[in-house]
Amino acid sequence: MKAFEYATAHSTDSARQLVADKGAYLAGGNDLLGLLKEYLVSPNILVNIKSLPGLDKIERGGKIWTIGSLVTVAQIEDDAEVKKVFPGLHEAASEVASQQIRNVATVGGNLAQHSRCWYFRHRDTVCLKKNGDLCYARNGENRYHSLFTGNPCISPVVSSLATIFTTLDATAIVLRDGKETRMSMAELYQRAWENPLAHNSLNNGDLILRVEIPTTRSRSAYMQISDKHAFDWALVSCAAAAEVVDGKLKSPRVALGSISPVPHQVEAANSFLDGKILDDATVSQAADLILKDAKPLEHNAYKMPMAHALIRRTLLKLKGDA
Amino acid sequence: MGGGFGAKFGAGVEGILAAKLSREAKAPVRLMLTRFDEALAVGNRPSSFQKIKIGATADGTLHAFEAENYGTAGIGGGGDAGGGGGGADIPMPYIYKVPNTRVKQSSVAVNAGSARAFRAPGNPPASFGMESAMDDLAVKLGMDPLELRLKNDPSEIRQREYKLGAEKFGWKQKYQKPGSSPGVVKTGIGCAGAAWPAGGASKSTQGEAQINPDGSIEFRLGVQDIGTGTRTVIAVVAAEILGLKPEQITVRVGDTNFPPGPGSGGSTTCASISPTVFDVCTKALEQLQTQTGIADARGENWFAACKKLGVSPLVVHGQWQQGLSADHACGVQFAEVEVDTETGLVTVKKILGVHDCGLIVNKITLESQINGGIIMGLGYALYEERVMDNLSGVVLNPNFETYKLPGIADVPDIEIVLINMPERGVIGIGEPATVPTAGAIANAVANAIGVRVSSLPITPAKILAALGKVPPPVNA
Repeated sequence: MKAFEYATAHSTDSARQLVADKGAYLAGGNDLLGLLKEYLVSPNILVNIKSLPGLDKIERGGKIWTIGSLVTVAQIEDDAEVKKVFPGLHEAASEVASQQIRNVATVGGNLAQHSRCWYFRHRDTVCLKKNGDLCYARNGENRYHSLFTGNPCISPVVSSLATIFTTLDATAIVLRDGKETRMSMAELYQRAWENPLAHNSLNNGDLILRVEIPTTRSRSAYMQISDKHAFDWALVSCAAAAEVVDGKLKSPRVALGSISPVPHQVEAANSFLDGKILDDATVSQAADLILKDAKPLEHNAYKMPMAHALIRRTLLKLKGDA
Repeated sequence: MGGGFGAKFGAGVEGILAAKLSREAKAPVRLMLTRFDEALAVGNRPSSFQKIKIGATADGTLHAFEAENYGTAGIGGGGDAGGGGGGADIPMPYIYKVPNTRVKQSSVAVNAGSARAFRAPGNPPASFGMESAMDDLAVKLGMDPLELRLKNDPSEIRQREYKLGAEKFGWKQKYQKPGSSPGVVKTGIGCAGAAWPAGGASKSTQGEAQINPDGSIEFRLGVQDIGTGTRTVIAVVAAEILGLKPEQITVRVGDTNFPPGPGSGGSTTCASISPTVFDVCTKALEQLQTQTGIADARGENWFAACKKLGVSPLVVHGQWQQGLSADHACGVQFAEVEVDTETGLVTVKKILGVHDCGLIVNKITLESQINGGIIMGLGYALYEERVMDNLSGVVLNPNFETYKLPGIADVPDIEIVLINMPERGVIGIGEPATVPTAGAIANAVANAIGVRVSSLPITPAKILAALGKVPPPVNA
């Protein structure tokens, strides 16, 4: 990696100033360190934000919970109240990487992490995401890539938290140009769909401060399938959330991760599920709707049946014991 | 900890370059390969593409075997290019006796690092291919695959191991017809056998011991301990013969100033050093008797005898002796798996390994070798794959993020049954322990889902494809 300056910020304002045009925020550092070592990013300064006050707390509200961006994934995983109120969030957190990584990985870092595409990550490959002319994955080794591919860069979003947050209608509060900007999960990733150079919609210097989660959906679930049983990226991940009133779904949301550059939601599937009783036929129809426009590539069509199964299973988990 | 596993058995181009550089620079040169470097240029286990045709009479007696195998062994087709890994040929037909065989093998030369030895070169791929074919044959014959093996395996030791293992594993109770396990998550069992024709000794092995008047004793052998417990074996053998405790023995290895030892490969180390240490100890006891007059210097007499040496330590030289070691370890393994037929995820529930290696020298390191061999075999079966881009030729996964290795959550319950055969002498176990694992797992998967995944690693993607669940790609 290239040499860099290092500073610790004690306020969000000073953090922003220190990062300036060419710096990078450092929290858990899991993604950043890899990017630095592979020369994928070369910031002139790393600004340690772990001392920023007030961003490391989970605040419980009646209607809205707030999770600070410096809250670790392990904190979420270990929080008994989170497990009760947002079981899907607990499940998503516990599937992230390994215990060691969860201990230091932060919510902000999980959301803002860069593409894992092995062409992007390879030091000798200059792909679209690195300002090259070609997406090598599209006609190459694309087993880990997107099923929804009508855009330039097909590397999928891999944040487990983004997938579950999407279904919980969570909002990221981002400090941009000195002001707090609210972004839905769809907005937080929209740019990764449009612009191959982008990993998300954040500008350099934008800082995720916290995530707000409404408590309107008391049932939620998250599942993922990887090649391995732990410490492996999801091949497909699925989250679902809803209220269940008299056995019927209310305001349901389903989202998939690792199969699109953005958390994948299909409005038609959400409205189809609204008011439905969960049974095998219903969840199967929902899965059909969610996968309807998929365009599997040469090596990733296996994600179709896998995603179908995961959607069905995750939705059925919303039934709970009741 | 650590390990060589064969890849560092030869100096390789990079090793020779480092030595040349050192000579030119008249300074030490340290050679350090990153995972990226390892993936890029310094050679690999040869690949193996096999086409096997196998025929038997109706009672399951093997009659004919025809096979083609080719693989890439790097530059010059492998062979001898400094990598120490041999070519791409594999032993075929593996293990079993077949009266009529026709085998064609070729090495494909490519501009890449030369073949590297990888724990039992040639054997895990040979076992996977042959044992897969055996199970497919058993299905066609309507036979229990274990019965088919007992009918055709010429090894008396493996016959014993299969019977012992089947009993322990509950093979008869667990065996179901392929694909007949009910439900979405199907269970299956499989087994496979191992052979390791090497594992014998390097006969030129030498060693020495320095016995000091204070009773301390130091062994010096030019052998290297690459994480396999070589130091432990030396201490254990010496302690037993001298009537001391292993912790009283100091062991020094890995120095070219010491008497020359064997290479740490081919599972030959144990069989080379054990008789050597035995010889050193025997000679030491003889000399102690001569010099001190104490008839038996072992055990409780040790310190008194050493004290009588006066001020000069006794240095004894010894070498490998005939009749204390052998080769040809065998082994069989049984696997039980669960396969989720909707997601393709394979979960290995249990591996039972029944292994022999002649006289058991040290049970802990032996079991550790077998555990490690099985876990490595599990990686070969389900996870490990070097992925290259067809267009650019770059290795896309030069890291443990996407070059996947088994983690603790992937490792099943492993049970080990050891057959102690002191009459055979000492034999190495490092390699046979990893040979049959992939074949056993692959057979268990085929038994669970009723169709075969014919290439490794057996990923969820391949399971779903084998089950006919993967739609064709869409041309955007």
